[in-house]
Amino acid sequence: MERIPCTGCSLLCDDIIVRSDGLFIDEVIGACLKGKERFDQLTSNNRLLNPMIRENGVLEKSSWEDALNKTINIIKNSSNPLLYGFSNVNCEAQLKAIELARKIDGFIDSNSTICQGKVLNMAKDTGITLTTITEVINKADLIVLWGANAAESIPRLLNKVLFSRGKFRMTGREIKTLIIIDPVKIASFNVMGVRDLALQIQPNKDLELIRMLKEECCVADSIPSEGVAGIDNYDLKRLLLHLSEAENGVVIVGQGILQPQSESTIIRELLELIQMINLKQQKGRISFIMMGGHFNMAGFDHIALSTCGKNENLKFKNNELVESNDNIVSKINKEDFDCSIIVGTDPISHLPHNLSQKLASKPIIAIDNRKSATTLIADVVLPTAITGIETGGIVYRLDHVPIELKTILKPPNNLPSDEDLLNQILDKLNKT
Amino acid sequence: MEMILNTVRMVDHDQAREHALGDEKSLEQNLAIGILNPSDFKKLNLTRSLHINLSNKNGQVIVATKEDENIPQGTLLMPVSIWSNQLTNVENDEITYKNIPVNVEATRDPITTYKDLLNSIKNIK
Amino acid sequence: MELYKYLPKTNCKKCGKPTCMAFALDLLQGKVKVDDCTPFLEEAKYKKQYNELKQLLGAEEGKKKELRIDVDEELCDGCGICVTVCPVNARYCPPTLSGKAPDYPPEKHQLFQIKAGKCELLNIKHCRRLEAEGRERECRVCETYCPRKAVKIDYV
Repeated sequence: MERIPCTGCSLLCDDIIVRSDGLFIDEVIGACLKGKERFDQLTSNNRLLNPMIRENGVLEKSSWEDALNKTINIIKNSSNPLLYGFSNVNCEAQLKAIELARKIDGFIDSNSTICQGKVLNMAKDTGITLTTITEVINKADLIVLWGANAAESIPRLLNKVLFSRGKFRMTGREIKTLIIIDPVKIASFNVMGVRDLALQIQPNKDLELIRMLKEECCVADSIPSEGVAGIDNYDLKRLLLHLSEAENGVVIVGQGILQPQSESTIIRELLELIQMINLKQQKGRISFIMMGGHFNMAGFDHIALSTCGKNENLKFKNNELVESNDNIVSKINKEDFDCSIIVGTDPISHLPHNLSQKLASKPIIAIDNRKSATTLIADVVLPTAITGIETGGIVYRLDHVPIELKTILKPPNNLPSDEDLLNQILDKLNKT
Repeated sequence: MEMILNTVRMVDHDQAREHALGDEKSLEQNLAIGILNPSDFKKLNLTRSLHINLSNKNGQVIVATKEDENIPQGTLLMPVSIWSNQLTNVENDEITYKNIPVNVEATRDPITTYKDLLNSIKNIK
Repeated sequence: MELYKYLPKTNCKKCGKPTCMAFALDLLQGKVKVDDCTPFLEEAKYKKQYNELKQLLGAEEGKKKELRIDVDEELCDGCGICVTVCPVNARYCPPTLSGKAPDYPPEKHQLFQIKAGKCELLNIKHCRRLEAEGRERECRVCETYCPRKAVKIDYV
């Protein structure tokens, strides 16, 4: 039976077996709960099947012609449009979106600017290497999970990374050491073995721990006897020993330490610590993976870098890329836009309340395949086919490896793919 | 009582899944929830049928409660949702999803509904 | 295990089993009785443990019990760790060695599979706790490594 990739989260497992009769999906074997939800969207009641326009304050079904005409009207009457989302669409659609932004003098950004994108730039600055999941399966002997709750965001990550038997580490679990650092006693603590280390750090104290480890790297025996941030000095010494002696280690981080604490960014200091350890020891290397959310967040970084030289905050004027110090959050906060095109995401539910209010005060064009808070508030709603099942394309995994998606069913009502829809909008703009 | 709020992802309380497969009722049941340590539960004099009123300088919302002993004392956990985003904010052009100070009190009032939240963002009929 | 604590732990083999641990396992399943351990009846120093063990088992002694491995549907999130660690799966289904889902339709020895987002047990016939000898009989890896504590091994 053929195995297809799953678009439930950014791990993009490519070993899913799907039984289908060409019209519906009968069985899904091998996908976790989050993947199964994605396949269930095909027949859900909340699926969008028709375009909608807001007339006299109420959303009503309309024809494709009317919906596209209203979209063109909104764009033509605006001089400062905002484009946001693009982490749930394939790379071909992302290319088209950048072309559209260039044509209408827009500001385009993706979800990765509040998640993965920042970390990519910091990793470039400190010179640390990123690594792939296959490398971790085959060669890693130390895995550190810091501020990342793998069991709740990406269920199969621990399965692939810790328990599989790779080419050079045939015994799997026994050979790999696992270290977890988290303020809450998360579910991953339950897979600890006798030689692993579980540290329940006090909330909001990660920066103290990192700074203490940095100091210990330079000047030995500087750990205080009462410990730091709720961890005693025996565990701290052991942690540093594991990090220094690892032949091929990997640090996996998540949203837990993406937030700024006191005056500095925690991830930047953590990357500096890893680089310090790498330069100090001769034989080993520690590399880095950042856990993402949606399945093509890393894709937008690559497409933007290769077409425009920058991976986020792209502002166009008169067909050229111009300098911009804003990011999506500051643009919405200052109300420096007059309409927005939201593709494949739900900012009304995801952004803080006062930002959602400001976003909703201007016209919204929502392109999505299921109902959400944004589509309930939008002025025009345009439905598209589900990527990964009804459309193919290239997407990028959380470790920046490109994966090709397969098509197994036809979309209902002849719904267009995201790339087709953006193309139609561009064509209409070029004609009028 | 002053506590620290952390908004996290949870596989059982997933906003994307409720929007895609559920309806308004399941949205409120699964997402309007705050999880506490049992000793904090006792300190606030809470019972299973009472709700909690959360407020800080960004907004105010009322949600249901649940107990879990794996959470450190003084911390409140909520799944990422439109309820928890009444309390988050922007600082220095960055959104803070974790370590937000919030005031917690027990109350008998009903949980804030989805329609109320949408109406407070934009008046729709 | 609970019952092993009360036994003499000398591995004298007078009951016919190779170790006291094997005797404890058979006692739990109802295949032998407490009186089958001859040192309990012959030597006075074990009298206290003998009485405590008899009281602990009570009427359950000698009742035939079957192995049951249960996956709690509400707690499981389909992570597939039980599929990858099970030694029977590793022997008969090569894709599970590198963390991938096994082939479909399932091979007749396969124990666990992920279907519709949840892990489920297909058949228990070839589990190590029933078929293997010696230390391998005490296999508990599926229960130990489940992060959400959804797999439970029981005798009923």
